[in-house]
Amino acid sequence: MKVYAPDGAVGPSAASLAPPRPVLAGKRIGILDNSKPNAGLLLGRMAERLAARTGASVDVVERKNAALPAPDDMLARLAEAEVVLTGSAD
Amino acid sequence: MADASSQLVDIGSDDPQVLLDRFATRGWGDGLPLVAPTPERVDAMLAGSSREPDEVVATLPPRSGVATRRIIAINAVLAGCRPEHLGVLVAAVRALARPEVNLRGVNATTHPVAPLLVVHGEVARTAGYNSGLGAFGPGNLANAATGRALRLMLLHVAGAVPGAGDASTQGGPAKYTYCVAENLLRSPWGGYAASVGVDAPSAVTVHCGEAPHNFHDMESDQPAAILDKAASVMASLGSNNAPVSGAEFFVMLCPEHAAACAAAGWTRGNVASYLHERARMRTGDLRDAFALRAWAPWQETFGDDAGMPITEHPGNIRIVVVGGPGKHSSVIPSWGMTRSATVPVEPEP
Repeated sequence: MKVYAPDGAVGPSAASLAPPRPVLAGKRIGILDNSKPNAGLLLGRMAERLAARTGASVDVVERKNAALPAPDDMLARLAEAEVVLTGSAD
Repeated sequence: MADASSQLVDIGSDDPQVLLDRFATRGWGDGLPLVAPTPERVDAMLAGSSREPDEVVATLPPRSGVATRRIIAINAVLAGCRPEHLGVLVAAVRALARPEVNLRGVNATTHPVAPLLVVHGEVARTAGYNSGLGAFGPGNLANAATGRALRLMLLHVAGAVPGAGDASTQGGPAKYTYCVAENLLRSPWGGYAASVGVDAPSAVTVHCGEAPHNFHDMESDQPAAILDKAASVMASLGSNNAPVSGAEFFVMLCPEHAAACAAAGWTRGNVASYLHERARMRTGDLRDAFALRAWAPWQETFGDDAGMPITEHPGNIRIVVVGGPGKHSSVIPSWGMTRSATVPVEPEP
């Protein structure tokens, strides 16, 4: 018996990740804190250690509600960094 | 009628168990038996409409799945829908894709949120939806199958698969099927859709929230006594409405409770205003419970001992008449960062 697949096509993604930076020395690190508990602490410490090890700098820190997309102006500020750390759940 | 967006799969057998097993292997289905979406059945589902089957109705996150009318029809067949349910399902998909619904968040959250689909107007009668006794189920094909088909759309097309696109900690029974019709004939205030500006013969509302929480009042015919029980359900630390004051409540009044309110001269707006006034919690208790709050700036000015309305304004309290004889009504809290959407059911020429 032949049946239709129920999932259909995948549309274009709204955005794609930039390729990873091979060298972080001299680069600017941004943090997008999604306001989940301890997200800012975790991401901040990671960024500090990454900066200390590589010679990068932590330049941009933004905080948003986890349940909503980041506003355009926040994304524009984060775009000034070459690397952005984000993502933390409950 | 195969096309680029809907391919045929040979499952090698007519045995329903084989269909279930093959689909499960691919990560499809909701765990319950499925109706095989054969080309004949899908064509029959689409036959009632002259619209283009490959018309894109919406793109659903997080998978960015493209919901064409044919894909919707395939999922409608799987769920057991009849062709007369397709227009409701298409409207529901269109409503879910509205930006204010925030479907990406709804699907991805750890909360047990499920979109409640409310069917309004003529189609509820002509397509057999239950708005009366036992409207939330079980036992009615239209309600059960349409709600299930919407969930299958979320699983298959939107990618809201537990552990992948759906992080719900405990899941929830409303994630199997969650569809009800408004009891227009017993609503003393006219239809809900018209009250929010959707003046169409038929419409649907989606509200992304919890499963219904019952309240009963068998003792009073006074609106205040009845509605104080609803307010008590609403004023709880247990729902996301507590930290998200912009979130909505749907209050599904049974016809007898609605009639008691109307007999006392209360409008739908009066009911919402009363609930807004009465559903309060001590501000300090809310602050202690939620360090992370999405409140309006004026709310933060309240002292700890002041009574804080559980939602920011009466417009967040939506009143719909549902059900049959008896004195049980329900409150459906919100996931929070979402707004309900009401859209017309377009005629299927």
